Amino acid sequence: MLYAGVDVGSRTIKVVVIDEGLGQLIASGICDQGVRQAALAHDLFKQVLGQAGLGREDVSRVIATGYGRSAVEWADAAVTEITCQAYGVIAQVPNARTIIDIGGQDSKVIRLDERGLVYDFVMNDRCAAGTGRFLEIVAVRLETGLKDLGAMAEKAACPSIISSMCAVFAETEIVGLLAAEEAPANLAAGVQHSVARRIVAMLAGRVNGPVVFTGGVALIPGMARALSDALDRNVIIAEAPQMTAARGAALIACGQARRTAGASAEVGKFLEAVQ
Amino acid sequence: MAGCCGTKDQVVARAQDGGPLEHFAGQVQNCLAYARLRKSQGAPVVGIMCEFTPRELIMAAGGVPVCLCGGSAEMVEPAERVLPANLCPLIKSTFGYSLEKANPFLEMASLVVAETTCDGKKKMYELLGQRHPMYVLELPQKSRDADAFEHWVAELRKLRKELEARFAVEITDEKLKEAVVVMNRDRRLKRELAGLMQSACPPLTGRELLGMRSLIAGLPQDHEQYSKAAAWLAGREIKPAAGKRVRVLLTGVPLPHGAERVLGLIEDNGGLVVCQESCSGEKPVLEDIDIDAPDLLRALAAKYFHLPCSVMTPNDRRLERLEALAGEYRAECVIEVVWRTCLTYDIEAQAVKALAEDKLRMPYLKIETDYSPSDNARLSLRVQSLFETVKGRQGCNHG
Repeated sequence: MLYAGVDVGSRTIKVVVIDEGLGQLIASGICDQGVRQAALAHDLFKQVLGQAGLGREDVSRVIATGYGRSAVEWADAAVTEITCQAYGVIAQVPNARTIIDIGGQDSKVIRLDERGLVYDFVMNDRCAAGTGRFLEIVAVRLETGLKDLGAMAEKAACPSIISSMCAVFAETEIVGLLAAEEAPANLAAGVQHSVARRIVAMLAGRVNGPVVFTGGVALIPGMARALSDALDRNVIIAEAPQMTAARGAALIACGQARRTAGASAEVGKFLEAVQ
Repeated sequence: MAGCCGTKDQVVARAQDGGPLEHFAGQVQNCLAYARLRKSQGAPVVGIMCEFTPRELIMAAGGVPVCLCGGSAEMVEPAERVLPANLCPLIKSTFGYSLEKANPFLEMASLVVAETTCDGKKKMYELLGQRHPMYVLELPQKSRDADAFEHWVAELRKLRKELEARFAVEITDEKLKEAVVVMNRDRRLKRELAGLMQSACPPLTGRELLGMRSLIAGLPQDHEQYSKAAAWLAGREIKPAAGKRVRVLLTGVPLPHGAERVLGLIEDNGGLVVCQESCSGEKPVLEDIDIDAPDLLRALAAKYFHLPCSVMTPNDRRLERLEALAGEYRAECVIEVVWRTCLTYDIEAQAVKALAEDKLRMPYLKIETDYSPSDNARLSLRVQSLFETVKGRQGCNHG
């Protein structure tokens, strides 16, 4: 039997289909978010299944997560992205203790206990600074793409200090620095450091390792290093960092974590209880 | 605990027949009618701003004490024309009511009694004092110090004189005693109602319990309904069944009338607020006044001085109470509400989080918000995640 997780995020929608036996990835897909959220999620789900030669009847349970989780009426249940993210990460890095997730419009820090269960979490979803959206704004301002921002930052001789706590004012600050002929590379690096500093503030001095980095922003070269520098400890980029919450949702749908490689018995019971 | 309270689809017994809860649905109107009647009979209406003000002194002076804390989001914007935007919504809303002349109780008040609690309130009272007759008590904030208590006693003696002079009455010990009897009864009845939530299957929701409070404490008609309520609620079942919900100990700032949104949100997302530790919940009713004390005013002062508000330093009493309440009410997690920019509660949240996680061994969530509903979805996510964590841990511990 197969199980699926659908993560309806603020900027993208992700679908992951796994196999019951080993929790192995069977198929996955991602698309941009839009106006018709529920329909887009459904189209992506059908597309992912179709490409793998599967039909809806092959999937016995679907869990929705993310901002739009309640809009996915065809899912069997909805579980928050905090819980899904935790499980998606634990399946990859069983001894993970801290998750840093930087998505399109929010950032979160999730701390896990020694059993791999959520201990506590902090979210920044009131302001764009410290999110993927902020980096997008900056990339446009520096006339580059989001993916090339990291390469640009690597060339920085001396990262700029961006101190504004608000994305809009930070942009104004950048405009001022550009006018003062600051090198774009320094600005790109400065912005990455600014995002990293905000995450460190969210952690409030309580960082347990290993630290795993998820969300779309983890794909931007240099961000993990900026976090690593700010935290003064190694930061592991999750495998397919945008997909971990959807993967966690699929694993919760499966509810057979004890048979999943890397998952503890406690996590298995946890999943059963969450269902 | 799961499964002890019937099945998922069980209907709320006698949900629609009102009973005593119906009386409290019209509470603001009830209080208004009462205040107008008493005022027409010559009794002064006296506004109070905080649970530190001893209602008994006002009642003994023949006055009607009315709580004036603003809970309306609509009153925030007018207040921001005068007050800084970076100020807690409770202070702004209270002041906005004055600017808009929108609180009939404030408009009919002959006096407003307040005290030096947080800086925001204290300075707002200076502005309010330009618009209404005000008397501000100085609240000493080192609650364990004997000389601080003596100062508080002296402040209450001054208030007694002020009330006597202003309303041309004598506050005799006998009158004070009568008022204490009424208020002790009020607190006992409220404690009994709140105590129903200790049950494995509480017969009412936290939202319903919060709805039974009154802007004017000690009203005879309320006491009658409180007495009836306990019997009426016996055997009542709520939906979703109490056993299916996560039991929440709610702490932090008070939720004034109109600002109950967060409590509703917690209960709409699978929680049951079994205990409300704040000033709109049990904090003011947990301690009574010793009616037989040789100096009744000192006994009165002691009860109020013991209120574990975050303006006190240190405020160990709050942590001691939280620990006791978590046990008595079988809480499964702690949720703290902090009005944005309420510095004292926000900073003290560190100690509450440590208590919950390290000592009580239960998940803790701080909700920082204001009166605007704009963050409903964001707060729901946090609350749902917290409940998933609670259930997940239970699955591990008992599975």
